[in-house]
Amino acid sequence: MSYQVPSKFPTTVIGSYPKIAGASEIIKMRDKGLISEAEFHEKIRRPIAEVVKDYIEAGIDIISDGEQSREDMVVYFAHRVKGYSEGDWVRIYDNMYFRKPIIVDELRREASLAIDDWLYASSISGGRPVKFIITGPYTMMEWSFNVHYKSREELIMALAKIIREEILDAVKAGAKYVQVDEPALSTRPWKEEAELAGEALRYVFAGLEGVKKIVHICYGKLEKILQYILDYPVDQFALEFKNSNFRLLPYLKEYGYDKELGYGVVDVHSLQVESVKEVRNAIDMLMKLDILPPEKVYINPDCGLKPLPREIAKAKLINMVKAAEEARRAW
Amino acid sequence: MEIWGSVLGGYPRTREERHALRDLERGAIATHELEIRTLMASSVIIGSQEAVGLRYVVDGMVDWHDMFRPFASAWRNVTVGGLLRYFDNNFFYRIPVFTDRPDPEYFVWPGRLRTFSAIADPQPLKVVVPGPLTFTLMSKNASGMSKEDLAASIASALALELRAAQDSGAIAVQIDEPMLSDSDISADDARLAAELISSMVSGLKVPSILAIYYNVPRDDVYERLLDTKVTYISLDVADAPSRALDLIAKKGFGGHRPVLGLIDARRIEDDDYERVKEWLLQATRGYDGDVGVTTTTWFDTIPYRYSLRKTVILGSYVERLASEVSRL
Repeated sequence: MSYQVPSKFPTTVIGSYPKIAGASEIIKMRDKGLISEAEFHEKIRRPIAEVVKDYIEAGIDIISDGEQSREDMVVYFAHRVKGYSEGDWVRIYDNMYFRKPIIVDELRREASLAIDDWLYASSISGGRPVKFIITGPYTMMEWSFNVHYKSREELIMALAKIIREEILDAVKAGAKYVQVDEPALSTRPWKEEAELAGEALRYVFAGLEGVKKIVHICYGKLEKILQYILDYPVDQFALEFKNSNFRLLPYLKEYGYDKELGYGVVDVHSLQVESVKEVRNAIDMLMKLDILPPEKVYINPDCGLKPLPREIAKAKLINMVKAAEEARRAW
Repeated sequence: MEIWGSVLGGYPRTREERHALRDLERGAIATHELEIRTLMASSVIIGSQEAVGLRYVVDGMVDWHDMFRPFASAWRNVTVGGLLRYFDNNFFYRIPVFTDRPDPEYFVWPGRLRTFSAIADPQPLKVVVPGPLTFTLMSKNASGMSKEDLAASIASALALELRAAQDSGAIAVQIDEPMLSDSDISADDARLAAELISSMVSGLKVPSILAIYYNVPRDDVYERLLDTKVTYISLDVADAPSRALDLIAKKGFGGHRPVLGLIDARRIEDDDYERVKEWLLQATRGYDGDVGVTTTTWFDTIPYRYSLRKTVILGSYVERLASEVSRL
């Protein structure tokens, strides 16, 4: 079954979707060893199917599996990569804690990490492309502890090797859109950090042809990091704009941005559903700056929709799609 | 050169403390039961610092949800709102919301000092407060006041806190201004911070420390801070050593005594002693007064057991440095 992605303003998602009822319990069963990894991926298919249904009903062109398997973007992979220990309790806010994983040995990928869910989502997507999404080496490094590798350079390249292996297998399996998530990068918006991440991403994406290579970064001081990442070997940056009131837009112009842009027009930290007009205005605002043609602009939320209630997430996507349709007629 | 050690700020919670807080929120235990758990956790934290000979001891502040919360709770006209990322950490604080000038209903530190001084005895305790600029810029200003007026009113409330702490037996006061390391801070903001902090510590008899961490301040910002009338300036060295040492080489400490963040409080691996020693020697070239060695930041973003290990590392490295460097 084939699906024609619009040439102008295709709509897409960053990845995560609100957890469908039952998904968290399935994750807990797996973490407690009550079910095997294979049984886990089998059971999680039902929540993935619900997410895919929502995406299709909303009219999203390029979808994801909704990351229903992932309790957290770092912990999920840490649980499956050899060399990580379970970790120890660290505070996120107030009295809320999570087990921050610890790298205690040489890192090795012994089996595929996220391909099963991607394959399943692709099989029920009605031909729509499904992004293959993986947490990037810089974010995995920054949001893990390390007691094994002697330097950050050594560690990030070890992570890059694993991520590259996983991506190559995903591409072999048919993935056409590969997104590497690097939210940690905007929290340390310094040249040396961008260079370190850049070196790792060059290795991750080296020689990858016929695939859309995407890096997602959000929040923090994106405008500070932008000038240092433009030479990354990627086709597209998917960036957050709405939450920071489109503060980043003038910087795109200033730095002569010419890659494809994943344009974040929906705030995932607000329960208020953006109106079609509001999203349309955001698209018009970008286009009037004459930075990119509509063929290079993808319309997406700022970040994963996980923090929202399901009905609000879906309502936001529906309006986003309607606004993109209007914009296609106008530009 | 005299070298001494001190942990910069708070410690992580023990499992018992976490569970007790959760149980209190559920109504499963009474407040006094939580207080007993807090006292037990703080006792271990205080003891771990004393055992390794640190000069200024902190109580660990394990009951604080974030640096601003106890003050926001103690002051009228301040509430707390939504969560926001705390600098470059995977940790979020609640944004204080100022609806008017802060008006202290009670002081945060005197009661703590009374409780914990008996445990820390014979070593007195260091108190830590957020700096007025960081407090202002990380809050929502719904007061109608200008940024400068709000910052001045926060500084005024904090000054009362520091006096009360001194009167209750604090051995030193530390004012945390991590925002001063933010690359967007203007020289005017730095001048404002310097003025307000100088007024907060004026008249205090105990040593005062201005602590800047998470990054290295810009040259022009740092220059303004050198006018601050504090005893010590504390800089985060281990997080970005080349930039920190470059700043110190160019600008020095402006007549202040240095405190150097040489032990990485955000990573759990053991710090390399030779590197720590090299940083100390570089940062103190040509200086012969007393030097504090501290952690890059608070310990509250690493697991509890590693905070105790890092305390031991800090204490043992200070001892070695004092012995080796004083012979050079």
